Amino acid sequence: MTKSTEDIKQKRTLWQKIIDQLKPYLLALFIAFFISGIIIGLLGYNIFNAYQTMLFTTFYSRRGFIETLIKFIPLTFATYAFAVPFKIKFFNIGGLGQMLFGATMTAIVGIALAKYNLSSLILIFVLILVALFAGAFLALIAGALKAYYNINPIISTIMLNFIALYFVNFIATTAPWKEPFSGHPMTKKIPEAAILPKLFNQIHFGIIIVIISIFVIYFLMNKTVLGYEIKATGLNPTASSVYGIKMKNTLMVTFMLGGAMAGLGGGIEVMGVHLRLIEGFALTSGAQYGIFGVLTALLCQGNLLGVPVSAFFISILLVGADAMQRTLQVPVEVVFLTQAIIVLLIVIFRE
Amino acid sequence: MDLFTKVLTQIVSYTSIYTLASLGIIIGGRTGVFNISGEGIMLASASAGFIAAYQTGSWVMGFFIGALVGAIFGFILIYIHQSLKINQFILGITLIILGTGLSDLLYKSLIGIQLFAPEAPRVPVIKLPIISKIPIISAFFNQDVIVYFTYFAVIITYYIFYHTRIGLETRAIGEDPLAADVVGINVKLRRYIATIIGSMLIGLAGAYLTLAVTGTYTTNISNGRGFMAIAIAIFASWRPERAFLGALIFAAIEVISFQQQLGSSLFPYQFLLMLPFISVLIIMWLFRKKVEFPASLGKEYTRE
Amino acid sequence: MSTKTKILELKNINKRFGTVQALKDVNFELTKGEIHGLLGENGAGKSTLMNILYGLYNKDQGQIILREKVIEINSPLDSIKNGIAMIHQSATLVSEFTAVENLVLGMQRSKLNLNFKEEKKEILKLQEEFGLKFPLDIKVKNLSAGLKKKIEIVRAIYRNSSILILDEPTTALIEEEFKQLLSSLKKMVSDGLTIIFITHKIKEVLQACDRATVLTDGIIQGTLNTKNANKEDLVNLMFKDQKIDINASAIPLIELPKTNKTKEPVLSIEELTTKSNKKDKINLVDLNMEIYGGEIFGIAGISGNGQKELAEVIIKPDNIVKGKIKLKDKVLNGLSTVEIFDLRVFYIPEDRKRESILGQGDIKDNILLGHQRESRFQKSNILRWDKVKEAAKETIDHYQVKTPDENKEIEKLSGGNIQRVVIGRALLNDLDLLVTHSPTAGLDISSVKFIFEKIIELRSKKTAILYLNEDLDELIEISDRIGVIYEGRLVEIYTREQFNKHKIGSKMIGG
Repeated sequence: MTKSTEDIKQKRTLWQKIIDQLKPYLLALFIAFFISGIIIGLLGYNIFNAYQTMLFTTFYSRRGFIETLIKFIPLTFATYAFAVPFKIKFFNIGGLGQMLFGATMTAIVGIALAKYNLSSLILIFVLILVALFAGAFLALIAGALKAYYNINPIISTIMLNFIALYFVNFIATTAPWKEPFSGHPMTKKIPEAAILPKLFNQIHFGIIIVIISIFVIYFLMNKTVLGYEIKATGLNPTASSVYGIKMKNTLMVTFMLGGAMAGLGGGIEVMGVHLRLIEGFALTSGAQYGIFGVLTALLCQGNLLGVPVSAFFISILLVGADAMQRTLQVPVEVVFLTQAIIVLLIVIFRE
Repeated sequence: MDLFTKVLTQIVSYTSIYTLASLGIIIGGRTGVFNISGEGIMLASASAGFIAAYQTGSWVMGFFIGALVGAIFGFILIYIHQSLKINQFILGITLIILGTGLSDLLYKSLIGIQLFAPEAPRVPVIKLPIISKIPIISAFFNQDVIVYFTYFAVIITYYIFYHTRIGLETRAIGEDPLAADVVGINVKLRRYIATIIGSMLIGLAGAYLTLAVTGTYTTNISNGRGFMAIAIAIFASWRPERAFLGALIFAAIEVISFQQQLGSSLFPYQFLLMLPFISVLIIMWLFRKKVEFPASLGKEYTRE
Repeated sequence: MSTKTKILELKNINKRFGTVQALKDVNFELTKGEIHGLLGENGAGKSTLMNILYGLYNKDQGQIILREKVIEINSPLDSIKNGIAMIHQSATLVSEFTAVENLVLGMQRSKLNLNFKEEKKEILKLQEEFGLKFPLDIKVKNLSAGLKKKIEIVRAIYRNSSILILDEPTTALIEEEFKQLLSSLKKMVSDGLTIIFITHKIKEVLQACDRATVLTDGIIQGTLNTKNANKEDLVNLMFKDQKIDINASAIPLIELPKTNKTKEPVLSIEELTTKSNKKDKINLVDLNMEIYGGEIFGIAGISGNGQKELAEVIIKPDNIVKGKIKLKDKVLNGLSTVEIFDLRVFYIPEDRKRESILGQGDIKDNILLGHQRESRFQKSNILRWDKVKEAAKETIDHYQVKTPDENKEIEKLSGGNIQRVVIGRALLNDLDLLVTHSPTAGLDISSVKFIFEKIIELRSKKTAILYLNEDLDELIEISDRIGVIYEGRLVEIYTREQFNKHKIGSKMIGG
């Protein structure tokens, strides 16, 4: 008897804890939507219609839900790009560049392998590896510049973003990769075998890859020596280094891990959505996945378990934003702005 | 005007953008506040400044609003950082995103999409007598008002930092806020002032983009220059006079690679456009051992 | 001490940090022209009280009465205006500035240029008058701790302060320097200055002060006139409820039991010379020493003479340009910290918060630190958290850590309990060598005693112990031998029979 009452007590305190945890988020959401309501009102739109579209488009139709999942996939990867190095208090703003580079290399290698008629399984596996390595490589540049030359990763990753952007443009407008008669810069299609299969004829296989990645990251960070060393370094870099954890290695590994995630996200966009490299593919609802990745990661305070949750939430808003612009002509930037305000408020309320 | 002078004149004009922005970052940084939100401030100010100038027909108004937007961003940054003890970098990143969103939203909702991009009144160019006749040097003195203001800002900041008590105290805060606090300097207040003044300069740099360089507003008009300004501040070891030099170098790289892109088909133009960004990495690598930081840069200061 | 006017009174001062009541109804009186000792253990609230007077902390309750007028002090500026100056335990000077720049900093003068001609004249005069010499135009970061202390004292006089608070001024000084300083202070007092002297050492109070107030756990125990008080009176006030034998320097008296050292040295360092490319690091020069099992080898020296570098080079032997470090017969040069820890070595660094613990990690996380690659805690890189939990629980039991469970965030524990976890972690495995740097710093007397016992227990198990400490009194108490380190060189080694505070002290400043 006593034990069960204790159980109940514990459960109650658990609920209490969850509610306490959620409080700042709810408060932030409320105030942010209030502010964006004022903006929408000032712009002369119907506030309630706007809210309704923004928040519930995902749930009105099957299409809305699929659309949300399709945005959820790259967004989750972009979020990890920031969230993993953030574990040791470093800022990888290069999620965009790493995603672009992952996509570009996937397209290049995919097109190059077209003539070999590889089986779908092998080709997709190879391209996933290419995407992972491409993203990790670009992030490693920033990580190594910090580790060995003390160059601020905020700056180096952003510079690499711009470099990657122009590289995409180069590949998408230059033979032998470019699609000959297209007005918009894009490459030729990747071979049929490289296209990710669709589940239930609706959502591409990337969703499974995302779910696997979520588990892998969780396991890596919580159950392995590497994960412990990353955690320790984040908590106290000086003490960690005194006790034999190599700061430089940890720094570079976290950047590579984050970059690999972004790269994979880019590769999956090519293999699952566009089936080729299209300039501007990483753009959505008024900004790039790179920026949203940072926002989403800050939204869950870099908590790796929170990443999919907040990525799904932001995806709902992104789908809502597009619908809002389509049906009500409200500029998507309103939603973009709302998200920035939400994050700012959450950061504030968490203190 | 020959081509060389023409290019040089353009370089000097671009130098103004970089100088004002990095000077703004340096002024905050010298009190320990690392304001990385330059890109966001520049975008918001570029848009707001353009709209103000377009609506009122006065470029002065444009710059005023640009600086005001900068001041508001600076205030948000320092207020939240000092009162709620939130990491400067996280705030900076959030403000970048806020500024990016705000810039397009303001323009779209107040100007709207038009067939021909509207133009705002431009800053007048003043040719200084005599000096503007000397070759090469003339490029520096055949410029608009803001460029002259930039020269003034660099000189006055340099003078204040290294020849006045206020400057000594400012640098002391950046090095060791506790040491400054115990001798009776109001660290909090000084950080407010420096961050806001700095952000106003960054705001001017943003407004300069639309009111002097292009005359029109386009999405993402600052194109990474707010980040380059951070690189310049670091390269300059947080000294105003070196920031001017750094700005000149980056402006030259940008203008020349842009000119080359128009001129030649020898090189894929994308690689020329990458050049400014690659050179940031190379220059930071080259100068990695020479750079110095204010010791308290980016760190919060609280008494208890 | 001619006039007996009350210059300052603190009334009913209360201060709380979170859940801890740091000061409780504190009353304090200061007479003009005295040197007033503020005596208490580490963490008793001495510095907190004085930081309130100086305006760095805000009091929750209470009054400050200066020359019979109630004053409000909300910032250092307020206290400076009221003629109060404070010299903190570690220097609060801008290290990138010169002495003159530091002295002028913050002074309310309207002049704009930074030439300082007149200021220098004035400062030179003060230096002359009180015998406090230091170079004016060298960046402070290149000066010794003793010189910095002098700069700060001159800064106080330069501002015409009437009350000077000195917070543990002797931490970085040796006996001779302290005596010198004391004579300067006495001269200032005769010129009208009043001094509050914060210390945890009874001996210093007897040496320097006219009166002393004792503070324990945020409560005033009483004020004594040192002229007619002796050591016992002060000890009784300071340690009312504790029965701990104590000597004049606030260290529990212990006895080193007789043990036999091992025949062969455990650690031997030969001709060790290091070169670091970091500017603030001291390089070790031609350093020779041997430590035997069952021996506590103390390293004495003024802070910043290479102690930290010596400790770190043993657990992370890089930047070595000459010489060898050997553990028994194995050369350590070039090994990584993890490899060296595998050879039954462990390290307790100096700065607990900064170098020793993961503040926001729980006790399990902290127990694992430094052991994370040992086979008992991981199998093919997968952590065995159940084993970690076991080890954490054992440590809590064995070292009497006061905590609800092993999931408690470590920074929420008291300093003494944190250090128990740190020591538990170090002694998780049997050791051949323990390197420890000031393990007792800032702890209360019963924790100090506990740590001493553990280290002596380790000594009896034939572990070699390298014990670095800036507090010479403590070293003399616990070491078998003491080596003196000065500017990266080991200048002298004394055996226990040869211990002499004066001799060792003068070696410490290069004498």
